[in-house]
Amino acid sequence: MPNYLCMQRSLPIEDAEKPSPTQMQEMYAKFSAWQEKFKDNIVDMGGKLGAGKLVTPESASDGPFVEVKELVGGYMIVSAKNLDEATTVARELPGLVGPGSGVEVIEIYTP
Amino acid sequence: MTAPGLVEHFFRHEYGKLVATLSRRVGVRNIEAIEDAVQSALMAALESWKVTGLPDNAPAWLFRVAHNNLMGDLRKRSGRRRILEQNEEADMEPPYNDPEVFLAGEVRDDLLRMLFVCGDKAIPVESQLVLALKTLCGFSVREIAHRLFTSEANVYKRLARARGRLRRLSPRLGELSGEQYASRLPAVHKILYLLFTEGYLSSHEETAIRRELCNEAIWLGTILAEHPAGQVPETFALLALMHLHVARLTARQDGSGGLLLLEEQNRDLWDYQEIRVGLEWLARSAEGDVFSRFHAEAGIAAEHCLAPTFAETRWDKVVENYALLEQVAPSALHMLNRAVAVAELQCPDAGLAVLEGFEPPTWLASSYLWAAVLADLHQRCGNTETAEGYRDVAIKSAPTTAVKELLQRRLRSTD
Repeated sequence: MPNYLCMQRSLPIEDAEKPSPTQMQEMYAKFSAWQEKFKDNIVDMGGKLGAGKLVTPESASDGPFVEVKELVGGYMIVSAKNLDEATTVARELPGLVGPGSGVEVIEIYTP
Repeated sequence: MTAPGLVEHFFRHEYGKLVATLSRRVGVRNIEAIEDAVQSALMAALESWKVTGLPDNAPAWLFRVAHNNLMGDLRKRSGRRRILEQNEEADMEPPYNDPEVFLAGEVRDDLLRMLFVCGDKAIPVESQLVLALKTLCGFSVREIAHRLFTSEANVYKRLARARGRLRRLSPRLGELSGEQYASRLPAVHKILYLLFTEGYLSSHEETAIRRELCNEAIWLGTILAEHPAGQVPETFALLALMHLHVARLTARQDGSGGLLLLEEQNRDLWDYQEIRVGLEWLARSAEGDVFSRFHAEAGIAAEHCLAPTFAETRWDKVVENYALLEQVAPSALHMLNRAVAVAELQCPDAGLAVLEGFEPPTWLASSYLWAAVLADLHQRCGNTETAEGYRDVAIKSAPTTAVKELLQRRLRSTD
């Protein structure tokens, strides 16, 4: 099965309220349920992405290759039969797809 | 939904433990910085544990991160050296190596200490309650507002008053003296009692939410009863009444969330394990010669729990306990309850006689309780017209649909 790179993109929400401990526990529970459901698809849980630079023949530049307001929050790699299945896995990840945020699912071709 | 590997309310209770432990270490006047550090540590845990799974010792993991966050923040805010100088006696070495000791003894003492910090006389009672819910129970402002039926702005206001007081505490006052533990004990009892009644008497439609506040009060009460500072008959009586009440919590509602009268409740649904624990605490509360309002209330609850049927309730004991309750804690509400019990023991006329000539205070006169009891007693005495008047008032002032339905059923005309 091919692998897919899932990149989380989000728009920072102004004054977003921090989740309460109760909500965090719910988030953790939902996330664990998702992991259990798709354990065969998860290749690499990836991680959060920080600041970056674009390296070109001219110089290293801070952009504007990514719109400033749009953040790539994190990435992970899933395996799936096809793009549709990979999309389903990503869509069901709690908290990933919501107002102001989404996930980009890109197939990784391996020779 | 349960999270694998984590006990129920893990995040919320860890929040309380961490705030309590760090407050002792760096001084409760840094409460804001402490709460921020703990919140960030929980967020970091959520992000990290998603990827790596749970660490072997999750509480120690959280402590380490929260402690580091806090040290970094305090260093930035006011210079770490000054804090260290003011807390020379404070052990800044986190007990990573001995998590067992760290969890069992130290944290329980810290939680207890924080409970007594909340019982500071300079903090108004309603702020004490909110402070305990926020710092010890780990509820957010929104969650507290939802549970106490008030606005978030109001919760913020109450919290700000409490925090303002803590911020002004001098570093020297960080440690509570034995005398302070003793003098604050009644305030601590009151916080627990309020926390419990906010859950038990709440007209909240979700049983789970009401039950949650009751359980928090029992949790903190148990910690209090295990500590020398709290081992007094009043604490045991308070725990007895809490267990004896929650034993009947589930049976108070029918399948669709409607409220049930005591005589309608299915006694098989009562939680006999809770009743057993409640009676054990009641037995312990009998030591010494103190008779508090908690003793009276636990005594009443015990009579109800021990009665095999409504008709077999020992109403004489109930009446007696209400009379004692009125003596130790005079309240028109207790008198009203005694009237109901007297009506069961003797006759409805006798119940009305208890209230004869009594002018209820405004808060009671305008509540549905007063009107509902009078409607019921007058109806049973055959004073149909008077009963009708009170009945309308009672139904009109019912706070929730569930209460309204209960009143309509109970007070419907006999014809």
